[in-house]
Amino acid sequence: MTDKLFGLVDLNARLELTRFKPVRALFKSRWFPLAAVLVNTFLFVVILLACLVGGYSAGNYNFGIMIVWILWWVMLMFVLVPVFARAWCLMCPFPIFSDWLQRGRLLDVVPGRKPFGLGLKWPTRLRNMWLMNVAFLMTTYFSGFMTVRPMASFILLGLVILTAFIVGLVFERRNFCLYLCPVSGFQGLYAQFAMVEVRRKDPEICRQHKVKTCYLGNECGHGCPWLLAPFNFQKNTYCGMCLECFKTCPYDNMGFNLRPPGADLLVDNPRAPRKLDEAWKAFIMLGIAINFYLAFQGPWGWLKDMVRAATWSGFLTYILYHTVSCLVIIPAIFLGFAWLSKRFSGNREVPLKNVFTNFAYTLVPLGLGVWIAFSLGIILPNGSYLLHILSDPFAWGWNLFGTANFPWTPVWTAYLGYVQGATMLVFYLFTIAFGYRIAKQTYPTLAQARRGWTPIWAGLTALTVFFVWLYTG
Amino acid sequence: MLIATVGTVLGVLSAEKFRRSRLFTTELIAREPNHGNWYPRTITVKRGQPVRLLIRNIDTVTHGFALPDFAVGAKEIKAGHVETITFTPDKVGQFPFFCTVWCSPRHEEMRGVLVVE
Repeated sequence: MTDKLFGLVDLNARLELTRFKPVRALFKSRWFPLAAVLVNTFLFVVILLACLVGGYSAGNYNFGIMIVWILWWVMLMFVLVPVFARAWCLMCPFPIFSDWLQRGRLLDVVPGRKPFGLGLKWPTRLRNMWLMNVAFLMTTYFSGFMTVRPMASFILLGLVILTAFIVGLVFERRNFCLYLCPVSGFQGLYAQFAMVEVRRKDPEICRQHKVKTCYLGNECGHGCPWLLAPFNFQKNTYCGMCLECFKTCPYDNMGFNLRPPGADLLVDNPRAPRKLDEAWKAFIMLGIAINFYLAFQGPWGWLKDMVRAATWSGFLTYILYHTVSCLVIIPAIFLGFAWLSKRFSGNREVPLKNVFTNFAYTLVPLGLGVWIAFSLGIILPNGSYLLHILSDPFAWGWNLFGTANFPWTPVWTAYLGYVQGATMLVFYLFTIAFGYRIAKQTYPTLAQARRGWTPIWAGLTALTVFFVWLYTG
Repeated sequence: MLIATVGTVLGVLSAEKFRRSRLFTTELIAREPNHGNWYPRTITVKRGQPVRLLIRNIDTVTHGFALPDFAVGAKEIKAGHVETITFTPDKVGQFPFFCTVWCSPRHEEMRGVLVVE
């Protein structure tokens, strides 16, 4: 029996885009995604230069700040992650320097070449999202500076690029992207909702193919830089979409599929289990969204002063509150609802940890909706600054495209709250749709699932109402 | 790869150096007194030679610019914006320039001097 999302789309439906020859040829070319990475390398050099030249000047007229925190962030939350999964990782320039050094080549492949660097294995205990959870949370401590002071963005981006380089020299392949990059974790989590996936086509072909070239590499491409087993992909979470497996598979058995949104949220098996580190990532993202909204889009000046460190005591209080709310308070409230779920279900066998972890994945669509709504509050009032900075990227009085004097023009801000509220309602529907299915996976009988789902549903509804109130109120 | 990285930096800096050598006499940075005031506070030019000032407002508030002895100025330079002022000094001496927009409680201290030799 087919399981249809909203009674419309079969959750198992897939449209393989790589069956179209131009797409497959593109994916098999060694120039892709390298060309996109090189374009972004150029763009990030301009961004870093603009941040350095901009120093302590106003952030809203700085190319680096506007491209990174307005355009890139909004693109990430609007399109790249919800539709194209980890498409940003595909074109991210940060690991290109260590890739280059490790491989000795940018474009072609030298089979059997020993990679440069120490090539150490990443510690087993750290093969999860915990470090990324902490790294991203700590990055947000400084959001009050990074988004307004070009020099702060320069330091942050410079540190990320430098760390990626050093980690690439010490550890094998792309351990930085897998376990350290601050923006990798939430992309991985929310990529589970995405509408595309990289998967093997015929499992039998992979079973028969004894030399796993997708992992080991061959003359056509490198072994999976993300240290995954492409022949057994279950979820989007850790696949960086580098497309090397399309190049190394001699049977063209890798496919790039269009699929219904959220399909990965229902995946829970020994090879790709639901995990606490990912659950905490969902809590952290929700907490950050709430705190960011209150600080950056709310009317409370005293809170803005705390975030931008007007006083040390205020800043430290904000950090403490921000950390505790993301790591403790929100998970604790959710644990309360999970406990209620178990009580309501009447099932004593299902461990509370499973109930807690499973239902935490309902926060993936809801959190994505919250971030899309928050991003609307960034782009609609501030988007017009982009026209200025494109013409005068270094604030040197250039006018490359004749738009340097384009005035600040907020767009649809009168309707902003309503658009944000509507966004929340759309993603609430996805949350409910997947939440009910997760309930049926969590509890063995339909009656228990319905009873156990009730408190979680009530909690998620209250959370959505809170956000709609926050945006429209 | 080298073009995208080193080439971009060298290209941008060379282009700007060339442009400034053709267009501008000096760059004047506008900041309210608490953030550093005009920089430089004193600009020295020669009489009879055209002067081209590039005024960058790197502040978070709007500033203005006036040099009344030569009847030039910029009514409003918004945060992050850049204005260009061109004139030819025809007399020798020291002439004050100042901000014309109430930018901060110490607005009246936002002054500098143009020295014409």
